[in-house]
Order: sequence, then C-alpha cells, then structure tokens
Amino acid sequence: MWKQLKKHRSSSSASSASCGESLSEEELARILEQVEDKKKLIATMRSKPWPMARKLAELREAQEFVEKYEGALGKGKGKRLYACRMLMAKKWAKFKRDFDNFKTQCIPWEMKIKDIESHFGSSVASYFIFLRWMYGVNLVLFGLIFGLVIIPEVLMGMPYGSIPRKTVPRAEEEKAMDFSVLWDFEGYIKYSALFYGYYNNQRTIGWLRYRLPMAYFMVGVSVFGYSLMIVIRSMASNTQGSTSEGENDNFTFSFKMFTSWDYLIGNSETADSKYASITTSFKESIVDEQESNKEENVHLTRFLRVLANFLIICCLCGSGYLIYFVVKRSQEFSKMQNISWYERNEVEIVMSLLGMFCPPLFETIAALENYHPRIGLKWQLGRIFALFLGNLYTFLLALMDDVHLKVKTTNFPPIPSAHHISFLKYNTFLVYNVHELKKFWKVDRPSCSFGSDVPASRKSVVAPLSDVDVHSPQRKFPTVPIALFCSCLFICYLADCELSKEFMRLTVSDMLVTYITILLGDFLRACFVRFMNYCWCWDLEAGFPSYAEFDISGNVLGLIFNQGMIWMGSFYAPGLVGINVLRLLTSMYFQCWAVMSSNVPHERVFKASRSNNFYMGLLLLVLFLSLLPVAYTIMSLPPSFDCGPFSGKNRMYDVIQETIENDFPTFLGKIFAFLANPGLIIPAILLMFLAIYYLNSVSKSLSRSNAQLRKKIQALREIEKSHKSVKGRATARDSEETANGNSKNSTQLQLPKEGTMRHSASQSQTLDQKAQGPEASSSAGKAVPPASQHLPISRSPGARTGSGQARPQAHPWRSASGKSAQRPRH
Amino acid sequence: MGSRSSHAARIPDVDSIRRETGFSQASLIRLYHRFQALDRNEKGYLSRVDLQQIGALAVNPLGDRIIDSFFPDGSLRVDFPGFVRVLAHFRPVDDEDNGNRDPKEPEPLNSRMNKLRFAFQLYDLDRDGKISRHEMLQVLRLMVGVQVTEEQLESITDRTVQEADEDGDGAVSFLEFTKSLEKMNIEQKMSIRILK
Repeated sequence: MWKQLKKHRSSSSASSASCGESLSEEELARILEQVEDKKKLIATMRSKPWPMARKLAELREAQEFVEKYEGALGKGKGKRLYACRMLMAKKWAKFKRDFDNFKTQCIPWEMKIKDIESHFGSSVASYFIFLRWMYGVNLVLFGLIFGLVIIPEVLMGMPYGSIPRKTVPRAEEEKAMDFSVLWDFEGYIKYSALFYGYYNNQRTIGWLRYRLPMAYFMVGVSVFGYSLMIVIRSMASNTQGSTSEGENDNFTFSFKMFTSWDYLIGNSETADSKYASITTSFKESIVDEQESNKEENVHLTRFLRVLANFLIICCLCGSGYLIYFVVKRSQEFSKMQNISWYERNEVEIVMSLLGMFCPPLFETIAALENYHPRIGLKWQLGRIFALFLGNLYTFLLALMDDVHLKVKTTNFPPIPSAHHISFLKYNTFLVYNVHELKKFWKVDRPSCSFGSDVPASRKSVVAPLSDVDVHSPQRKFPTVPIALFCSCLFICYLADCELSKEFMRLTVSDMLVTYITILLGDFLRACFVRFMNYCWCWDLEAGFPSYAEFDISGNVLGLIFNQGMIWMGSFYAPGLVGINVLRLLTSMYFQCWAVMSSNVPHERVFKASRSNNFYMGLLLLVLFLSLLPVAYTIMSLPPSFDCGPFSGKNRMYDVIQETIENDFPTFLGKIFAFLANPGLIIPAILLMFLAIYYLNSVSKSLSRSNAQLRKKIQALREIEKSHKSVKGRATARDSEETANGNSKNSTQLQLPKEGTMRHSASQSQTLDQKAQGPEASSSAGKAVPPASQHLPISRSPGARTGSGQARPQAHPWRSASGKSAQRPRH
Repeated sequence: MGSRSSHAARIPDVDSIRRETGFSQASLIRLYHRFQALDRNEKGYLSRVDLQQIGALAVNPLGDRIIDSFFPDGSLRVDFPGFVRVLAHFRPVDDEDNGNRDPKEPEPLNSRMNKLRFAFQLYDLDRDGKISRHEMLQVLRLMVGVQVTEEQLESITDRTVQEADEDGDGAVSFLEFTKSLEKMNIEQKMSIRILK
C-alpha cells in the first residue's frame, strides 16, 4: 500500500509535468482513478493495521490530494483553476528553459574559443578562457568605480576650472591639447576625473550630499574585497569540479572512440572543426599514455632532478651576484670622468642579457628532469618568476645601499624626489626592454645623478630582434613585474598624485609592447616564412624560423601581472580600470586573430590540467602583493596636501572616522569604537584560526570517507558482476558436465572467476580462509565451509544448488592453492 | 497537412505502439506528422532514399550509419511502428518509470541497456554481436579525417581493444562495450528532450 501510494503521487506529478497542450482524456481518466483510490483509503483508514503517526500522515496526504485534483475533474470551478495552474507551470518551465538557452548564447566569444580549442588544444584555449574571465572581473570593477566615483564627480562635483587642482596651469595651457602631451597623460587628461589628483576633498558634493571621499575610500577597499572573493570562489569551484568528475582513467581510448563524435552535427564546417578537436584529443591522450608508460628508474630520476634544481639555484645566485657586482661597478664609474658608452650602460646590458639567456638555459637544464610537459611548464614558470624577482631585488638592494651611502655622506634628504624615482623606474623599465621594440617617451627631467650618470633624454631604442627564439616565456616578463615591484617599493615615497600617471603610462606602454611584439614576432614571421619559402635555400617552414607556437605561459603571466598592476593603481587612478577593460577587449580579438592566422599547434599537445588552480593561486599571490603597498600607504602615510580627495587629512582612513562622527548617530560611533578595540579583534582573529583548523580537519575526514565509500561501491559492483557471470557459467557448466563429464575444463573456467571473486571481495578473512581451506584437509566435506561462508556474503545462487556444486569447487582450489594465494596480490 | 485531422485515431495500432514505446499521445501525433512529411509518395513506409533527403543527415559524415540504424535486419523499408521504435530509444528516462514497472514486462525501449544496444549497433556493422578491429578502424577513419596517420590509427585501435576486451577475443562484445561506458551518463546524453 505504501508503494502504491508513492506510485500515485509520483505518477500524478509526472502527469502534471509532462502533459501536452491540454489535459487529454487518458490523463483525466488516470486522475479520476487516483482520486477514487484516495477516497477509498480515507474511508478505510480506521481499519488499517498501521501505527497512529503513519495513519495521520497518510490521511492528511490523501485529503490534500483529493482536494487538489477534484478541481481537475470538473467538480465546481476547480477545473478551470486547475487547468490555469497547469498552464502557468508549463509556461514557467518553458520560460526557464528559454532563459537558460539565452544565457548560454550570451556567453561572449564562445564560438571563437571553441574554434581555437579544436585547432590548438585545451591548454591554449584555457588561456583565452582565463582572459575572458579576467575581462568579466574587470568589467564589474569598472562598473563599481565608474558608477560610484567617476559619475558622481562628473555630475555633481565642482566643474573643471573652478579650483586650482582641477585646472591646467597657465604655463602648460598652450600645449595641453597636443596629442603627444595627451598621450603622455599630461595636459587635459591629467586634470580630469580619471586621476586621483582631480578629486576635491569636500566632504559632501551636490544636492544629494554625496560623500565623495568616503565613497572613494570604500570603493577602493571594495575593489580589493571583490577581487579577493571572486578569485577564491573560482579556486573553490575548480576543486569541486575535479572531484566529482569521477575517474574514467580505465577506458580513456574506448571512451574517445565510442563517444566523441557528435551525431547532431549538421554543418560541414562544424564537422571539420569536430575532426580537428577529436584528433587533438587523441593526440593528448597519446601523450598522456606515453608519459605514464615511461620506464621510471626512480633513483636516477630523483638524482637528476636534484641535480637540475641545484644547477638552477646556482644560476639564480650567480645572476644575483652579477647584478650586484655590476651595479657597484657602475657607481664607481659614475665617479670617473670620460666613461665609454659600454660602461655607462653596463647595468642595463647585463640585466637584459641575463633576462634573455637564463630562461632558455633553465629549459635545457629542465630537460634532465623528464617531467610530464604540464608539470614541466609549471616548474619553468616558477623558475622564471624567481629569476626576475631575484634580479630585481638585488638591483634595488644595490641601489638602496647607494642611497644610504649618499645620505650619510652628503646629508641629502632621505626621501628621493618624484623625479628621481620615475627616472629610476624608467631606467629599470628600459633595462629589460632593450631588445623589445617599443617607443620610449622623452624623459625631460633634470638628470640629477642618482646611482649612475645617464643622459637626460633617450631616443627610442630600436634593437634588432634577437636570434634566440623570441617566443620563449620571458617575453612577457620584462615590463610588468618590474614596474610592479618598483612601484611597490616607491609607492611609499612617491606623491600619490604623481603615481597615477605612472600607472597609466605603464599600462598603455605594456599594451603597445604586447601588440607590437605579436604583430612583428608572430604575424610578420608567419608572412615571411610563407612567402619567402618559395625562394629560399632551405625549407623555412620545417627548419629555422618556422611558424611560431602560441606562448601560453608568457601570456598568462603577463595577464596576471598586468592585473596586479591594475589593482595597485586603481586606488590612485580610477580611470585605469576602464583603460584595462578596453585593453582586454582589444586583446581578446587581436590575439584570437593572431593565433588562428600565424600560430601552429604545439608539437606535443597536452591537456590542460582540469583545475586552473595554479594560475589562480598565482593571481591570488599577485593580488596580495598589490594590496600590501596600497594598504601601507593608506594606513601610514599622510596624503599629499593639495590634490586628491583626502588632501588635508592626517591619514586617509580618517575619512571613515569623520563619517562615523558626522553622519551616524552617536551610539553607532561608540559601537564602532568598541569594536575597533584590539582586545576584541585579537580574540576574533584567534577564533577564525580555530575555525579554519576545524573546517580543514572536517573536510579531510569527509574526503577520506568519500574515498572509502567509493571503493566499497566498486567492490560490491564487482562482486555482483562476477556472481552473475558465475551463475551463468555454473548453469552452462552443469550442462557441459553432463555432456562431456570432464571436470578439467570446468577447472579452467572456474579458476579465473574464483580469482576475480577473491580479488574483488577485498575481505581478507575469506581470502585467508580460502587459501587455508584447500590445505586444511582433503575431504570435500571440510572444503565446503569456506565455499559456503563466501556465498552468503553476496547473494549468490550457488548456495541454492547445494553441496553438490560445492564439491567440485573444492578440487580446483586444492590443486591450485599455490597460484590462488598469489592472485589477490594484483 | 492542413487537410488532415490530427486525431490520434488515424494512426494505426496507436495503443499497442504507445504501450511498447511509452510515448505520450501528443508525441505520437507529432511523430506521425513527421513520418508523413518524410514519406513523399505516401507509400505508407519510408525507404533509404526518403531519409537521405533530410539535409542535416546528408552533411553528417556518419549519416549513413544513422540511416542504417533505422533499418534493422537489413530490410529496405520501415513503417511507422518501426520508425517510432527506433526513436523511442531516445526518449528521456523518467525515474518513476522504473519505480512502478512490472518486472514481468520487457524493459522499456529507453532503458540504459537498450540505449547502449542501439549505440552498439551503430558501430557493429555486420551485426555479429561484436565490434571487430576492422570496424573500429572504419569508425576512426570517419571521425578523424585525414589528419592522423595510418599507424597512429592502428595503435589507437589496438589500445582500445586492449582496454575494453576482457575475454581476449580481439573484439569488443556488447557486455564489454557496456562496461567501458559505465561511467558515462548515457541516460542523459542519448535523450532528446522534445521526445518526452
């Protein structure tokens, strides 16, 4: 009766979900039947032998059902109401489906990325997916900043020209509209809402009394908060996806062969791209297979890996020392007169040579390690990261040394002026870009000697493209991380108003450098190879230049570091995020085009790791690194006196204090003061640590039990299967036995089955007993207990056939006891 | 189509088809209309030529196999019950179907086993109950085009047979096929929502 009720309930809901345009007669008939049943149940409820609680529950259900569906049968006005309700439910389901389809269609660039994936593999496509995700995040940040800071300022703030900080000074006025000046982010652009310096420190603006400085501060904080949240959420969802996929490692090739074709394809272009993607996926699996089949001599591999790491550490230390040495030498040179060009530029030359030659060196050393290409890529990335960080760090250390020396000897003010800093920054910027094609802005600043005697202005440096493969991952490294870390340290010294300009310039220059490098390095190269191949002595396509491969690691790292710079600069230049959005948009189209037109797939196509967490982790690290200097300036440095929304205050966070005092009722102020007490905050932090520890241990235990359950399910499934086949074979065998009366064949048939049964049972007790059983005694009677003990565990029909079957089973066990003991070892 | 009434009574053997395939009345009416639309000369059955007129099938590289699956046992014509029987394999699986199923009745056509059997038929061209290496090579060649060399195709086939074949006969039988696809959500992938 219980099951019948369930059936009624479920089938009635099925009917409501799946009925066609209107209620058809069959459905009405079915509902009528069900209502009759329920009425009968209600009538006979008293006499049912159920416990009271169950009776009450059933009664309530039946009454609800009758009430609900009597309407459908036309008793009273209920029918129309019921039909209306059904119609609404159907329309709602259809709307939800359409909306889901619409949402999927709205995902931008999906076709482009699928195209790229089918031609180049999933790892190249993962870069574009990452780019798209980054675009989404930047769009949200842009919306925040634009809507809450820039628009109010433009609409309600004091207009251009009203106060000094908002006007172009008279001296610069004639040139303020020149393109070259505008390009440099001077002139009218400098005095616009895009930059920190434009904002007034009025507490409220406009008739809405919008608290602009407060909004500015809160938006700055929420930019970081939102970015943090979304990066961590993305990392969390990546890990979830990977665990639920299930391990189908056993049948990769069968899967691909039988299930990769999409039978719904009705378009020849789609079919072509499907071919390409199937081929790529087979190649990926082949590479994976080759990697896993490699003969691993563990000790040799380990030794080689340790050796490789040791060599690389030596290289890193060597390069750090070299830079330190060269910088010290250049300081001595600066004291001399008549220095040659080489001695003047020694630092830059050395640093750029290091940046050019070390990464390929790392790659060659890494060939010793013999990793899977995916893992090798990660190591390479980490090492290049360490190289550039280390170089920069030693460079700055050496310079700082010099500053301290100067301070001691000449009583210079300890804080270098803005000009020196940007000059130095441009110096290092140039250092790593000597071999990159880029425009360099004129540095019209007084050339106070600061570490090295460098001429005041430099013309654009056009260096020949190096012979080394231009597309090694370090291409992207030079510009941004250097600027990032330079700014990181100098942000403390530089006035905030100057900083915003520098960030803008760096972003724009980085963007230009990227595009030009792609254009020249990939596109022109491809054109050259394609067209010159006809009249060249050797085969250009197969031989030396050939077509470029897409540099995944360089591009991803460039994207990450660029985003770090945006995060750092967004507090000081609200317009920066807007520029970044534009940059990412154009970059998407440009790179998609460049990849499809001038790149070839990698020779070893490897599948991108399912979780993107490596890059996400790097992004998180960069986010923290860019958060630190901004937080430091907010907390410890006084804002500059005459520009920005916090001008005149002692510290930037005073704006919060002000708001709480003036805008909120007094008791809230008291509450905030109470909450900000360290005596409260420190225990709260401790509590959070404890919560993290607790959640961590809970999740570990859950995943352990998950693995155990999975193993159990698999074991049960194997037992069921083997018993089914045992049953089939037993009946077949019975008939066979009677036919030829030869038990040897049955031994052979039985033995593999017994072996797998034992293997899959994974219960060591039965295994031991079976191994011991045959040795225990020779009588068939004694051998029966192990057999019958095994049988009841899984509902095998073998027990039913009785001891007659058990006896023949004893023989194979006895005769093959030696072999059987070894089987379970597999 | 306008002159015909859409009454279910016009479909021959409607009740037995419905019981066998589990389609609702509305779906059957839709399918009947489609059958009549494909049947150009109103013969009452469909031949290979009729099915080849469908544009999307013609472009699909494995279109011939799809058409062949409509003609089991090598016959040359398929009538409406046969047509519906084939399409019933793609009906989405409802969970309540299994709950109140009478164990004595045969499995519904859209059960997992039957779906897999249908898929197996697509690859087993000579209907001998096994997918041999040769058949696998043919499928691969169709799917991959000319971009993979012959030796690579051979080694992929060898590897597949190695993975899936359990009894060592060098071919994939239906049970082995089932086992290799046990992790795949066949019920969802081989279902067409509009056929509910």
